[in-house]
Amino acid sequence: MGILRFILRRLMFAVVLIVGVSAIIFFLVNAIGNPVAMLAASQPNATEDSVAELTRYYHLDQPAWLRYLLWLWNLARLDFGSSITYNQPVAQMLAIWGFETLKIQIPAILLALGLAILIATIASRRQGSRLDFGVMSTALLGQSLPAFLMGVLLILVFAYWLGIFPSYGAYSTRTLLLHSSLADGLWHMVLPVAMLTFFNTATLTLLLRANMVEVLRHDYIMAARASGLPERRIIFGHALRNAIIPVLTYLGILFGLMLATAPVTETVFTWPGLGFLYINAIQQLDYPVIMGESVVIAAMLVLATLATDIAYVLIDPRIRLD
Amino acid sequence: MTAPLLDVEALSIEFQTPSRKVRPVDGVDFAIGRNQTLGLVGESGSGKTMSSLGLLRLVPRPGRIVGGRIGFDGQDLLALSEPEMAALRGRRMAMVFQNPAYSLNPLLTIGRQLGEIVAWHERLGRADAEARVADLLGLVGIADPGARLRQFPHELSGGMKQRVCIARALLCDPWLILADEPTTNLDVTIQAQILDLLRSLKERLHTAMLLVTHDMGVVARMADRITVMYAGRVCETADARTIFRAPLHPYTIALLESVPRADRAYDRGRRETLPVIGGRLPDMTHPPAGCRFHPRCPEAIAECSRVLPLATPVAPGHVVSCIRRGSASIPVAA
Ligand SMILES: Nc1ncnc2c1ncn2[C@@H]1O[C@H](COP(=O)(O)OP(=O)(O)OP(=O)(O)O)[C@@H](O)[C@H]1O
Ligand code: SF4
Ligand SMILES: [Mg+2]
Repeated sequence: MGILRFILRRLMFAVVLIVGVSAIIFFLVNAIGNPVAMLAASQPNATEDSVAELTRYYHLDQPAWLRYLLWLWNLARLDFGSSITYNQPVAQMLAIWGFETLKIQIPAILLALGLAILIATIASRRQGSRLDFGVMSTALLGQSLPAFLMGVLLILVFAYWLGIFPSYGAYSTRTLLLHSSLADGLWHMVLPVAMLTFFNTATLTLLLRANMVEVLRHDYIMAARASGLPERRIIFGHALRNAIIPVLTYLGILFGLMLATAPVTETVFTWPGLGFLYINAIQQLDYPVIMGESVVIAAMLVLATLATDIAYVLIDPRIRLD
Repeated sequence: MTAPLLDVEALSIEFQTPSRKVRPVDGVDFAIGRNQTLGLVGESGSGKTMSSLGLLRLVPRPGRIVGGRIGFDGQDLLALSEPEMAALRGRRMAMVFQNPAYSLNPLLTIGRQLGEIVAWHERLGRADAEARVADLLGLVGIADPGARLRQFPHELSGGMKQRVCIARALLCDPWLILADEPTTNLDVTIQAQILDLLRSLKERLHTAMLLVTHDMGVVARMADRITVMYAGRVCETADARTIFRAPLHPYTIALLESVPRADRAYDRGRRETLPVIGGRLPDMTHPPAGCRFHPRCPEAIAECSRVLPLATPVAPGHVVSCIRRGSASIPVAA
């Protein structure tokens, strides 16, 4: 029953984290300004009556602490409220925009993991060779390049010069009208996924190669060779399994923070995902959206660390949940 | 006389890096008959582990075998293809490593990692392979083998791990076991148990063994023949009895004097220096010219630094490389 208690404790921690984070964000946003006033300022033909009505509707005439408690009470009932600028339920927006974010982030992480395993395995087996050196330099360079620069380069080369891939959006307007087709969606995904994959691969490869080199020096690898096992089995069954353990933490962070890191990619590619939404919501002080998304980010982080810990226990028998 | 099971001639292993060149094994000869145990003795760093890995053609990079012949059951291992060599490893020639704590994969159960080896070599199914593993765990004195199969290495004690490693080496009934300091990293009481186990197994299974150690006490109890190595070269090879009763090489004599009683476990503090002769193993990047032992040898004469003594038979089955014992020698470039 250890595992259930462990999960329960983590979930309790998640609740504390979410309350804490949301309170900080709520009062920060509140201190910046009034979203309805901002909205009114941007629409010259807004009447005083409609402004007053909106103010009442969003309880902006109430003190901040009361609004926060109200928000928290609604959240406890899984009601995220509705967006001030989009006038839609926040929960529904999170689902729709969130799907677009996951659509590029998850393939980018999985693709990167596969590529990193392949590249790191080859490089570590030819440690010190020119190939190894080339791979490592590329990965180091890739890792230190500013993220948006890579995105801009991709757009420049593949969208403007070669014109193969679209430079922005998740769907073409034309196909959107005709109900978006699968191929069109995939076509738009290529550049953002490529950008994310590149960065994830660079970091994962560096980590994994270092671990592989370390693991391949171990006596149990030599012992496996001395037992006559085929090299393929030694590399994938023995070495990689050991080398990937320290990488789990980083994989957990990639999954846990993928919403938090989304704004860069989604701004570069004008991608209609949560990162894009977050930036917009902050500009508009659309606090139900900001709050809702912050809650989702915190929850993702907690879930990712929980999954990481469970993965550790499943892979490494020396580690126990306490 | 029938041909020995293993016949190593002039084996040389070299590490070549851009800046330096090291030969931890330099023209080494030794032979092991079927069912025989050869003790390979020498100080830490004298090239014992490298020689054993060389026999399996598993010298770690950037090291490689640069010369010699490894006759094994009538074929030259250095002439085999890599797949042929891989098929022989673990099946005909198996190794027990120096440190049991590190030579088992921490992530796999004992049943899984040992079973994998039998399954691979003998093309057995998983259940049959594990049954074989359980048999061998029983043979090496592990109680309740069925339960051990499902345990991970970290759940076993050091002595138990070494028993598992010995079982792993025996899985496919090898002709030759390379035991690299199988007791060095164990407690003294456990050392004795493991040595007893090895001796009884050797008698029951009729397996030949290369027993690598820096401990004269261990070879005294285990070996039929003994080869003494110093700085990558063989000093002396003879029957165990001859080595203990009538050693010829000055280094062998020094080694024996440094062990007060042959049956006592070697004091670890003495690994680095030999109290009787002092000094330590030379820096292998710049080995002394001529006889490598001459800076520490109590009997050295001027000529010892000018000629390289060669392993020369002095009696049937007794080989020595020391110019003061009548060995042949070749002059070294000044
Ligand atoms: N990567 C390397 N580069 C250069 N020389 C190396 C390398 N690895 C090992 N050596 C050489 O191999 C020698 C060690 O040989 P080996 O490990 O066989 O010694 P040993 O007799 O088994 O000692 P021990 O009792 O400590 O196990 C060292 O003296 C060193 O000169
Ligand atoms: S050759 Fe000379 S230095 Fe070497 S062991 Fe014999 S006497 Fe000593
Ligand atoms: Mg050694």
